[in-house]
Amino acid sequence: MKRNNLAVLIVVFCLILAGGMINSGEVAASETIRLGFVADISGVGATFYKGQKAAVDLFIEEANAAGGVLGKKLEVIVRDAQLKPDIGANMARELILSEKCDFLIGPTSSAVALAATKVAQEFKKIIYFHTSNTEALTTTDFQPYMFQVVPNTGEEGRGAALFMSQRPYKRYAYIGPDYAYGHDQFKAFKGELGKLKADAELQEIVWVKLGETNFSPYIPILMSKNPEAIFSSFWGGQLSSFVKQAKPYGVFNKAALYSLFDLDMLRVTGMDMPEGLLGYSRCPFYAIDNPEMKAFVKKYYDKNKEWPADWAAMAYDGLIALTDAIKKANSTDSDQVVKALEGLKFKSLRGERYIRPEDHMANVGIYVGVTAKNPDFKDFLVLKDVVEVPAEKILLSVEEVKKLQAEKK
Amino acid sequence: MSAEYYLFMLINGLSQGMLLFIVASGLSLVFGVLRVINFAHGSIYMIGAFVAYSLSTLLTGTSLASFLLLLLVVPPAIALLGFVLEVSLFRRVYREEHLLQLLLTYALVLILDNVVRMIWGGDPRNVARPEILAGSVDLMGMALPTYNVFILLVGPVIALGLWLLLYRTRAGNVIRAAVSYPDILGALGVNVSWVMTATFMLGCWLAGLGGVLVAALANVDLSIGMEKIIECFAVVVIGGLGSVGGALLGSLIIGVGITFFQLPFGRWALVFPYFVMALVLIIRPWGLFGRPER
Repeated sequence: MKRNNLAVLIVVFCLILAGGMINSGEVAASETIRLGFVADISGVGATFYKGQKAAVDLFIEEANAAGGVLGKKLEVIVRDAQLKPDIGANMARELILSEKCDFLIGPTSSAVALAATKVAQEFKKIIYFHTSNTEALTTTDFQPYMFQVVPNTGEEGRGAALFMSQRPYKRYAYIGPDYAYGHDQFKAFKGELGKLKADAELQEIVWVKLGETNFSPYIPILMSKNPEAIFSSFWGGQLSSFVKQAKPYGVFNKAALYSLFDLDMLRVTGMDMPEGLLGYSRCPFYAIDNPEMKAFVKKYYDKNKEWPADWAAMAYDGLIALTDAIKKANSTDSDQVVKALEGLKFKSLRGERYIRPEDHMANVGIYVGVTAKNPDFKDFLVLKDVVEVPAEKILLSVEEVKKLQAEKK
Repeated sequence: MSAEYYLFMLINGLSQGMLLFIVASGLSLVFGVLRVINFAHGSIYMIGAFVAYSLSTLLTGTSLASFLLLLLVVPPAIALLGFVLEVSLFRRVYREEHLLQLLLTYALVLILDNVVRMIWGGDPRNVARPEILAGSVDLMGMALPTYNVFILLVGPVIALGLWLLLYRTRAGNVIRAAVSYPDILGALGVNVSWVMTATFMLGCWLAGLGGVLVAALANVDLSIGMEKIIECFAVVVIGGLGSVGGALLGSLIIGVGITFFQLPFGRWALVFPYFVMALVLIIRPWGLFGRPER
């Protein structure tokens, strides 16, 4: 009897181990371009990863069907960074050294990204960031072997200030997760709001532990001074929990909420999402009208039977820029591709974009709108009346970037 | 800030404490009878929440009836899971030292969490509240979510139910005897091992109930189990391992503490449970309602 149980345990363990090993690599073929994906697969990163990986796979499929890049086939090798910077750094090293990857694809977590970018610099391998978006990657922690195709935390904070200051609100409140991402956004938001609206009053600032899903202790504090507008830096599941709980506390009757309503968050919240909330999205496929996006959405939907989340579209955009640069450089040599990347104009799913040479930041803006039901999507709400806030209005100026980059050295 | 505001936060905090109590009482009860510190209690609670989610997708609408059905069906299902775990695993380690038991339950955490990951994946899940509980009630001009009021009512019902069960029924007498005099109970011809199985199932039933209740409160994801077990440990250390009354007191102290101390201390209020826990450990290491280890 005892032995049987042990056998069952061993089988279960093997299954678990097998689950983690599925992604490990095949043998390297010589005539391929190997992309090493430092991904956050487990934990709260899982939702993000699903979209990112599906988009990367789709891109590779298409590129290979069209004869590859410089005649070489693309392939992707994935490692799980588990949202942990030290593991992320190790995985990046492993992808470069053992798996002989030529380029790296970034993770979801900014903390992992900051660790991975150092490894990329050390081995002179280009890494691009599509979801992790701390501004530090392009300023204080800038290194030339990276580029970013996601609107960064600074843009998000300043974008929030810009959008909200144009409305007649005077009394503001802030609530967000108590870690770098929240603090980065808040700092940018506070600075910009002060600049744009001298009489704006930031009344209450509430920090909540990352991952906390019970907001009963925090919501009454947030509302205690009757703010007219609230900026929240929550995202994903935590934001979904916050919105669900804020509703019966009457938050939305009293104040306007502005937050990141990406497609995954909207899908999770479903019809529990109130209408009429202010929000932004990093790359909402449904609000971007151009032939590239339309074609991408169709292919993505046909293949995955699911709409592409923001992260999916941005991961795809990064590969457009990377492969364009490889073609332009006519080489996979990192230094030559970096040279090609600087100032590169590429046809992204979001329209024509370019990579700023000074900080390797793509000029990608954010998309603001109001939550509403939409007959195209039965199970969840999306943003309507979406307007793009162009990057030029909310990116740091080249001088500011250079100053920050110099500070570190 | 007005006195009404403080009262509002107090009531709000009590509702938090009640939810915590439902889960922590299960942990405490299991320890009292089985003498095993069940690290996996949080994972069992999480499974309850995920099962509630899955079942809710099968039911249509957000009526009170379908929510009550969840409350009725899911906790027994989790108790059944408890039965399997107790008979196949826990039963084998009662006579072992605490360290080994802890290793077993911790291994169980890793296994159950991965099983949940395989079945439900890493996406956060949302269970809609029944319409009748989705609104709010007016409390001195402030809106208090009806659902919090609901939890505030369910908590005492469970507490009273547990008290009646333990002190007013024969089964309760046997359970209490199993806590204090397991050897004599065995000598009297009571099948102690089935008492233990039943108690473990009751503990899991409570974890499952907590899971259903939290699923409609917040999103369900892979982290809620670990989150809750840490809070539960603080509760049982404060209240005393094995004491259901202690679990009630400990839960209310922590629920009210975290909520209420947000007012003067902001995010430092999170330190409060651990502060009380440390204080209790210094002054009365066996907890406010507990008894020293024999």
